[in-house]
Amino acid sequence: MALLELSGLTKRFGAFTALDDISLLIERGEVHCLLGENGAGKSTLCNLVFGVHRPDAGTMTLGGEPFDPRGPAEALQRGVVMVHQHFSLVPNMSVAENLMLGRASAVLKPQDIIVRMEQLAAEYGLEIDPEARIDELSVGERQRVEIIKCLLGDPQLLVLDEPTAVLQPGEIDALLAICRQVALRGKSVILVTHKLGEISRVADRTTVLRQGRIIETVTMEGADIRSLVRSMVGRDVQSAGSVLAAAVDIEGKTPAKPSDAAGPVSPGEAVLQISDLVYRDPHGVPRLDGLSLTVGTGEIVGIAGVEGNGQTELGLILAGLAAPSAGAIVVGGTQVGGCTPQEITDAGVGIVPEDRHAVACIKELSVAENLFLGAIGKFSRFGLLDKSARRKAAEAMMRDFDVRASSPDVSMASLSGGNQQKAVLARELSLDPLVFLLAAQPTRGLDVGAIEAVYNRIRAARDDGLGVLLISSELEELMAVSDRIAVIYRGKLVGELAAGAFSREAIGAMMSGHAHV
Amino acid sequence: MIDEQMAVFIGSGLRLAVPIIFAATGEMLSERAGVLNLSLDGMMLMSAFTAALASWATGSPLLGVAAGVLVAMAVAAVQAVLSVTLRANQLVVGIGFNILALGSTTFLYREIFGPLSRDPIPGFAQLNLPWLAHIPVIGPALANQTGLAYVSILMVVVTWLILKYTSFGLAVRAVGEDPRAADKAGISVAKTRYLGVLYAGILAGLGGAFMSVADSNTFTENMTKGAGYLAITAVIFGGWNPWYTLAACLLFGFATALQFLVPALQLDVPVALLLLLPYLLALVAIAGFVGKSRQPSALTIPFERGG
Repeated sequence: MALLELSGLTKRFGAFTALDDISLLIERGEVHCLLGENGAGKSTLCNLVFGVHRPDAGTMTLGGEPFDPRGPAEALQRGVVMVHQHFSLVPNMSVAENLMLGRASAVLKPQDIIVRMEQLAAEYGLEIDPEARIDELSVGERQRVEIIKCLLGDPQLLVLDEPTAVLQPGEIDALLAICRQVALRGKSVILVTHKLGEISRVADRTTVLRQGRIIETVTMEGADIRSLVRSMVGRDVQSAGSVLAAAVDIEGKTPAKPSDAAGPVSPGEAVLQISDLVYRDPHGVPRLDGLSLTVGTGEIVGIAGVEGNGQTELGLILAGLAAPSAGAIVVGGTQVGGCTPQEITDAGVGIVPEDRHAVACIKELSVAENLFLGAIGKFSRFGLLDKSARRKAAEAMMRDFDVRASSPDVSMASLSGGNQQKAVLARELSLDPLVFLLAAQPTRGLDVGAIEAVYNRIRAARDDGLGVLLISSELEELMAVSDRIAVIYRGKLVGELAAGAFSREAIGAMMSGHAHV
Repeated sequence: MIDEQMAVFIGSGLRLAVPIIFAATGEMLSERAGVLNLSLDGMMLMSAFTAALASWATGSPLLGVAAGVLVAMAVAAVQAVLSVTLRANQLVVGIGFNILALGSTTFLYREIFGPLSRDPIPGFAQLNLPWLAHIPVIGPALANQTGLAYVSILMVVVTWLILKYTSFGLAVRAVGEDPRAADKAGISVAKTRYLGVLYAGILAGLGGAFMSVADSNTFTENMTKGAGYLAITAVIFGGWNPWYTLAACLLFGFATALQFLVPALQLDVPVALLLLLPYLLALVAIAGFVGKSRQPSALTIPFERGG
């Protein structure tokens, strides 16, 4: 008998149907992968099983009994545990304190937890210092704490939502091994991912979701990876080009260099010059530690690294949202380190920031208003705003950059993530002067079609002679787009590879702090 | 002579600190859970009035304290409903309560006691603990306090123990720091915050009741004179740590007591300036420390469950 049975689950958020009539069986002792693009409904499905949301229609049974959790507490009680995409650990508490949270008796007994941790360390190889504070741990270690937290109660079902997105290659292997261990002990695992390479290594069965519906469920033995990809994106693999090759990453092979007829222009003079950049955060923790980097005209330089090694801070400093503690940043001869965002824009720097919603656009304002956020004066006559001129300019820009919205007057919030990002790119690439573009995590949360569009824009900007710095946590993305990849580790660049010499293994090793390979 | 005055100064400093210690200790726990009770002063004032009324009506100061605490808890319960369940702006709710408390106690006081009542109400006697009195300088001041004063220090210890050694305390810290994580660990954010606010209500009630039935044995209009705000300041000044908060409360108490010491020493300092001193100190404390100490991340932010 199956452990978990879902029948006819439907979940709507307002007018948007996130899940539509989902029926699925999860067997005991299996690793079941959920595969799908962003927005396919994978996370929503997990959240229903874990009681974070409640379905609008449909029923679940767990171990043969009806299962309708009204909250995570009830799901936990029934032996369903979940590791979320965003960790649920209290940062300023110790590992042991986090593990005691929500399960301890009236008086805390840290000793009991430590004993249990030792057992789990022996069983699964999950070792961690119980006294360490969460905010001192690496992302991989934090995830380990999450998994330990889940396994403490001896659960029946472990749900992992995109667990590998934040990990470096070595850590991914360890995680997949743990999944197998958990399944071997008769528990079930639901693993959400959009990386096929992982699925073929760990899954017993895989269910493909697209736009809230189940496309197919396949047993992995002898399954055809290509057909899974087709189910996932809903069209032929070829049409999506290099993106898919990159996203698919079958067996960790290096995807072919995109066929780009013009080829990269050989890099010219330096447009961005960073020397000995140091940044300490408000707590005095060094985040950047003597980073030096040069980007030439007509060149895309990618920054690879495990999240939390200083790439976010580098992006913030280049955008003028944080002031460096020491070091110099020169763009086209102008010193911009510590300058205001306006001064940086005037120096010819376009910024696609990492946090699109918080920094790049104002969601409540219209598309037109967002497109000319930095150039309000351009459409002002005698202090009054000339809206029709602005609308016309916005329409032209939206056409050029394929921003799909019913009109420039609709709010930014009503656009899809991909169109929002295209609008941001449109604004930044229309700056004058423009010599350098920073693109930080430019495709995060976008669907395949939009990703391809963003790549093409970035490549076109490069071909026009711009210097581009691409910061990304997706190794495949960096390898598909960059002319050169520099690897950041603990606030320093530890190595560099030129196009043609990219390899996952070499970059992965550098990302984990091993010197040049 | 000087010794005697020092003893009086220390004694009155401690006495004046007690209501702030009560209120600040409870508020500290509530803020650790993420709820700011700007209504603290109102809770104290309502409790002070109710305690005076009940003590006067029954002749028992103990019943007075009980009644005061109950009323403060009632205010806290409403504050919790508004700021936790209905996710109202905690600052606005708090200010509203304070205005309501000032208006209603003033009105009821004039209605019940008459506009210029100076009748003493039954209050607690001071304990006289001989074993404490032997300590030089501070001994007499420590020994001659009402029982409630010792309870205030006890509550600091209790609160510290709760936060450090109980699962409720762990839940409080988690809920104030990262409610989403706490929720996913199976903790009820709402329940924890309700309990935190009620705890602040009980202690603010004790602090308010102390003013009317243990300290002055009378009620006067607006008798808290912003003690609740000082308590909130003490929490910030104390960096959300029970012991530092206690120290901040004592500082405010002694600063207030200077208005008795300085004239007695015949120093030529305007009394009005001395009256101002604790509030000025509070301002300096906030300006100087608010940026440096790290407040609970989720303080004043209502929690809503979401993906």
